[in-house]
Amino acid sequence: MLSIFNLIMADRYRRFLVSCVAVAVALVVAGALIALLGYNPVTAYIMMAQGAFGSAYAFSVTAVRSAPLLIIGLGFLIGYRAGLFNVGGEGQLYVGATGATLVGLVPIHVPAIIHLPLALLASFVFGALWAAIPAYLRAYHKVNEIVTTLMFNYLGYHLVSYLINADNGPLFEEGAAFAQSPPIAKSAELPILLTGTSLHLGVLFAVVLAVGTYVAIGYTAWGFTLRMIGRSLKTARYAGVNYQRQIFGAILIGGGMGGLAGGCEILGLRHHLYQGLSPGYGYDAVAVVLLANGNALGTIVASIFFGALRSGGNLMQQTIGLDVSVVFIIQALIILFLLGGIALKFQPRKFQPPHRVHTPKVLKNHA
Amino acid sequence: MAGVGGAFAERSGVLNIAIEGMMLVGAFVAVLVSNYSGSATLAALAAIAAGGLMATLFAYLCVTRNLEQIVCGVALNLLAVGITNVLYRKILGPLPYIRVAGFDDIKIPFLSDIPVLGRLFFDYNVVTYILFILPVIATWIMFRTSWGLSVRAVGDEPEAVDTAGISVSRVRYTCVIVGGLCAGLAGAALSLTDMRSFVTGMIAGRGFIVIAAHFCGRWNPIRVVLFCLLFGLADALQLRLQSLYPSVPSEILSMAPYVLTVVFLAGFIGTVTAPRKMDIPYVRA
Repeated sequence: MLSIFNLIMADRYRRFLVSCVAVAVALVVAGALIALLGYNPVTAYIMMAQGAFGSAYAFSVTAVRSAPLLIIGLGFLIGYRAGLFNVGGEGQLYVGATGATLVGLVPIHVPAIIHLPLALLASFVFGALWAAIPAYLRAYHKVNEIVTTLMFNYLGYHLVSYLINADNGPLFEEGAAFAQSPPIAKSAELPILLTGTSLHLGVLFAVVLAVGTYVAIGYTAWGFTLRMIGRSLKTARYAGVNYQRQIFGAILIGGGMGGLAGGCEILGLRHHLYQGLSPGYGYDAVAVVLLANGNALGTIVASIFFGALRSGGNLMQQTIGLDVSVVFIIQALIILFLLGGIALKFQPRKFQPPHRVHTPKVLKNHA
Repeated sequence: MAGVGGAFAERSGVLNIAIEGMMLVGAFVAVLVSNYSGSATLAALAAIAAGGLMATLFAYLCVTRNLEQIVCGVALNLLAVGITNVLYRKILGPLPYIRVAGFDDIKIPFLSDIPVLGRLFFDYNVVTYILFILPVIATWIMFRTSWGLSVRAVGDEPEAVDTAGISVSRVRYTCVIVGGLCAGLAGAALSLTDMRSFVTGMIAGRGFIVIAAHFCGRWNPIRVVLFCLLFGLADALQLRLQSLYPSVPSEILSMAPYVLTVVFLAGFIGTVTAPRKMDIPYVRA
């Protein structure tokens, strides 16, 4: 049966199918768990869906939650296609947010048309800088980027904590009830698209970025070399690609994306810099990209899905009392079943997700 | 403690990101069992079992199925958070805030009376005593027994081990499960000793600090424990610092473990030679 199945489906549709099946199975299993806990899974899911898409307001909440996932996801995706695991999204978000805040707090009056792009640029630069050390270490010294970017996550978190520290942080807002920075200038804010909601331009920006990334990865020379490195480093070397520079660039840009996500959050939604900016966006973004199989356009859908899970989960908790953490379980199950799909060879034999690039030691001598 | 267990797991070539999750599960199970049984020892055993169970799942995914280790770990961590949170709400939530039976301090009769050193070294609870002994045992096993040799070999050159006839999967499985057992105990230690209760997300990233300690200590159990102690010290200090000297940014101390790890990785202070086949699934050709 499996062979017929494999025969009819072309590669890319099969991958898409695997993702869908993984989600479906995860929902079913989670539903069983919910039932075990004594709640009605159908009601739970309906409440979640309503919470996510039930009204224009709900939809805007979902969209706003999805945007950072999408942007960070794109950053991770760029590395992922090259076989790299830049999991520093969290830290890059925080540092990028700091950059945006700094520009946003500039005391001189700057027209919005300059101020806003400048702030966004700052967030990108800050995020990229934050990823620079791990990028360099990985590209030129083969240091495991997973660990370094992970460490930098915590560093970024603590850095922000220091900056807004109530007692002496340089960015602390006087007289505020809790630790946060002063609000950024109006001229730096991202405009709201739908009055009465928090739907800001950043959401649209994210989608545009995704399309741009898709084009860049699929249709430019740079994207091609990136993918080549991800599939086979040896081929890339043989073709004369400066793989070290590519790797460095991939992680760097990924960091910039993470920073942009932070920038959008600050400029569009929060307007202050504070501790709890990200409810784990950086890590969720990894799951999002996996679900989308490293496809930039698919990441749009996947990020909306995950955003919906989170925002819908809140309503679910309010109405039927099931703890919103069940969403974590669903997410985890999705990842596991996705992996299971790969393991069970539902993926066509030819295609392999870009595996971790292990620059073998022997290359060092030939370099 | 999680450091030692993890050292084993990672030495054999499996990067165990899920330590955090296993600790969390351990902490939760420990409180749960302790609440209903009133016995701390039973709770600890249950926690160990839970950690081991989770580790078995992790090992299955990574060793048998050869799935991407990092991703599996992230997924399992997420799962642990989700399950413990939900169960906590459901089972322990409605109960009033309780302090469950934990491990009391045991003073070793004569030795703890020594003026300064006595209190410092001999007036802790059982679990901490284990902390002292475990790394020694672990180091002995890892470097002096043939089993330990297999572990180290599997981490560096699994093909060689396979050729020698030893089952690579079995070694890796065992190591990961041992890691899980220890992590479970670690979680129990956290929830049963000083705190005596469970808070959602109480591990708070310590599992990842453990991974940092692994890198810094180069997977030698004793060195790893030393680094764990160092990082634990930093953690405790930064808490104190906040109340004693609020003008000094305590975050510097919080950042220290991570900075140190990166410094080590960059090779400024000695080189970190990871088990060469870390994070690479072994597929029998």
